[in-house]
Amino acid sequence: MSNCSKLGKKERLFGYSVIFPYLAYTAVFWGYPFVWMVVLAFTRWNYFSKPNFVFLNNFFRIFTDSLVIRIALNTLNFLAYLIPMILFASLLFAMALTKVRFGKTFIMLSFLVANVSSGVAYSLLFSNLFSVNGPINRLVDALFGFTIPWFSNPQLAVFSICLIITWKFIGYYGLIIYAGLLSIPQSIYEAAQLDGANKRIIFWKITLPLLNPSLITVTVLAVTLTFGIFTEPYMITGGGPMQRTTTFLIYMYDTAFKRIDPSYATTVAIITALVSYGIVMLIRKIFEKEVVFV
Amino acid sequence: MRKVLIVLVVGMFVGWALAVELVFWTAPNPLQEEFWKTVVAQWNKLRPDIQIKVQTIPAAGSSEEAILTAIAAGNAPDFSENIFSGFAAQLADIGAIYPLDNFGTDFQKVIETRKMKNIIEGWKIKGKYYVFPIYSNPMLFWWRGDLLKKLGYNNPPRTYSDIYELSKKFADGKTKFTMQVVVGRNWWDRWFDFITYYYAASGGKPYIDVSKRRVNFGDDFGKQIVQFIYTMFEKKYTAVELGDNPFYKGVILGKITGPWEVNWAKETFPKVVPEIWFSAPPVPDNYPKDKPIYTFADSKGLVIYSTSKYKKEAFEFISWVFSNAQNDALWIEKTKMPPAREDLTTNPLFSKYMEDKFFKAYCEFVPYAVPPALIDKTIDIQQAMTTQLIEPLMYLKGKPLDILDKAVKEINKLIF
Repeated sequence: MSNCSKLGKKERLFGYSVIFPYLAYTAVFWGYPFVWMVVLAFTRWNYFSKPNFVFLNNFFRIFTDSLVIRIALNTLNFLAYLIPMILFASLLFAMALTKVRFGKTFIMLSFLVANVSSGVAYSLLFSNLFSVNGPINRLVDALFGFTIPWFSNPQLAVFSICLIITWKFIGYYGLIIYAGLLSIPQSIYEAAQLDGANKRIIFWKITLPLLNPSLITVTVLAVTLTFGIFTEPYMITGGGPMQRTTTFLIYMYDTAFKRIDPSYATTVAIITALVSYGIVMLIRKIFEKEVVFV
Repeated sequence: MRKVLIVLVVGMFVGWALAVELVFWTAPNPLQEEFWKTVVAQWNKLRPDIQIKVQTIPAAGSSEEAILTAIAAGNAPDFSENIFSGFAAQLADIGAIYPLDNFGTDFQKVIETRKMKNIIEGWKIKGKYYVFPIYSNPMLFWWRGDLLKKLGYNNPPRTYSDIYELSKKFADGKTKFTMQVVVGRNWWDRWFDFITYYYAASGGKPYIDVSKRRVNFGDDFGKQIVQFIYTMFEKKYTAVELGDNPFYKGVILGKITGPWEVNWAKETFPKVVPEIWFSAPPVPDNYPKDKPIYTFADSKGLVIYSTSKYKKEAFEFISWVFSNAQNDALWIEKTKMPPAREDLTTNPLFSKYMEDKFFKAYCEFVPYAVPPALIDKTIDIQQAMTTQLIEPLMYLKGKPLDILDKAVKEINKLIF
């Protein structure tokens, strides 16, 4: 007798009614867009007329599009700044949190506020803060007699945007690492101390290797985050200077809604997703280690 | 009596059942919204058979995005405003908007009544009129009259050399700069710097030959402009970043802006506003003194969508609104922006608004304000102008004429 027939009609109905909302949600918000994405990638559509089948033309176009190459380099540039900045800042935050005795929850929440803040609002705030006659530059000018072109120098603009993103995510990623730190058994540290290991050795030989799962999680999240940067450069630099802060998402948005070319924008989105997935898998393959506490 | 009542009720019911309702999207701007709600309320009272429902363009990254999304989803309104020329050219290209020429003599009549025969010519897309221009904002330079007076000036500078002279007296390359030469790095900022300078230098010549799909600004006018921009950055008479509100804080003496800034400036910097002087954009030294200086017109208009079932009714409404000059007076009252009509300075109906020095200054330039090129690749062209032309000039990456030459070649490649 099959499992299905073992169940009564009532139970089966109950089962279907429980999974129906999820299936409906998935079909509407995931299935339909996915099918439409596939259709768009192989056609040319202008929002108005019927899509024309163009086979792989949209994909071929990407390899001859100089702006896509520029954006790929920009993304690598963002990754080069953002990953070390985020890992270092979050680790520092998590380690500092382990030393705090009072008001831990308040500190955690204070840092998490940045994570839930409106991207538009804090972009405007930082834009004014870092402007040539903003408070930071006025202080620098008063102390050292020069100003820093935070958003007008191509490399500094990338760095400044990474600084803002790090500020936003330090609380969230810091908590992931903090949870990782708490999961390391105290007995390992005690054993190391008995063996005469100093703080530096304990950090490099015990804490850091045992934090591998948390650090990989943060790295993977930061990589996907980098491929999705939009609000900060869109609001602050408009993709400049010299197109150095133009990201894939800005390009997709402009292509879909300003150039009226949603098909090509979709194709760029697919390639971006595949590349980011590839990088994530590569990072996991190279750096991920299995950590087991016995 | 009973029969009359029944006839009346049935009549009302039939009238209600036959009435059509049109959806009209307005700009997400409270002042414009107020204007449209007022005139639509009057219309709805007057024409129970054609009811208009006013809705603000839904919240999105931009009006263009909201409209495109609606077109894609099949929810486009019957007609909408806030359409700039480049977007109209894109919409016309995909067949999403309806040519107003199809209304024949009715269209010609409203153009004549609203005194916009010359203005409408600037809105021709591939030989047809798809957009009904509502307002035309000429871009003007604002100057700090109080600071200029202290430097011994009674008039704002007119030519590039005048600006260099002024710069020698004022700019220190660190905290004081003469003017904002480049407005920003967004694609639309090119309307307010390079394109405006080109219209001024060339006497209103189009910067792109739309029919030949070729760039015009590689000529002598363009060469003079790039030299001017380059010099201003090279000599530190201007800077890439000028900080927030540099004009009002006295960091710069001049900037370009439109009438939309007037109300905000009056409220935020009431002490600076009375000291403001106006001028046309700067021109090359050899520009004839007796010739009017042209500038860029930031103008937007109304379109009827091809998907609308009630195109005739939408046009009837448009025609009703703009055939009555009182509605343009109401528009000025509510929005403080010059309507796209050629009789603003001569029609006595508008004379009382001329007492406002800002409105008067802008109105005087309406006949010399040229709208942007009606080309479907506006965004790509202006993005290329930003990266290939303006940014290299700002960052002094190469010789100005080489930068211009390269930019012209790149943009020609892009649009051909």
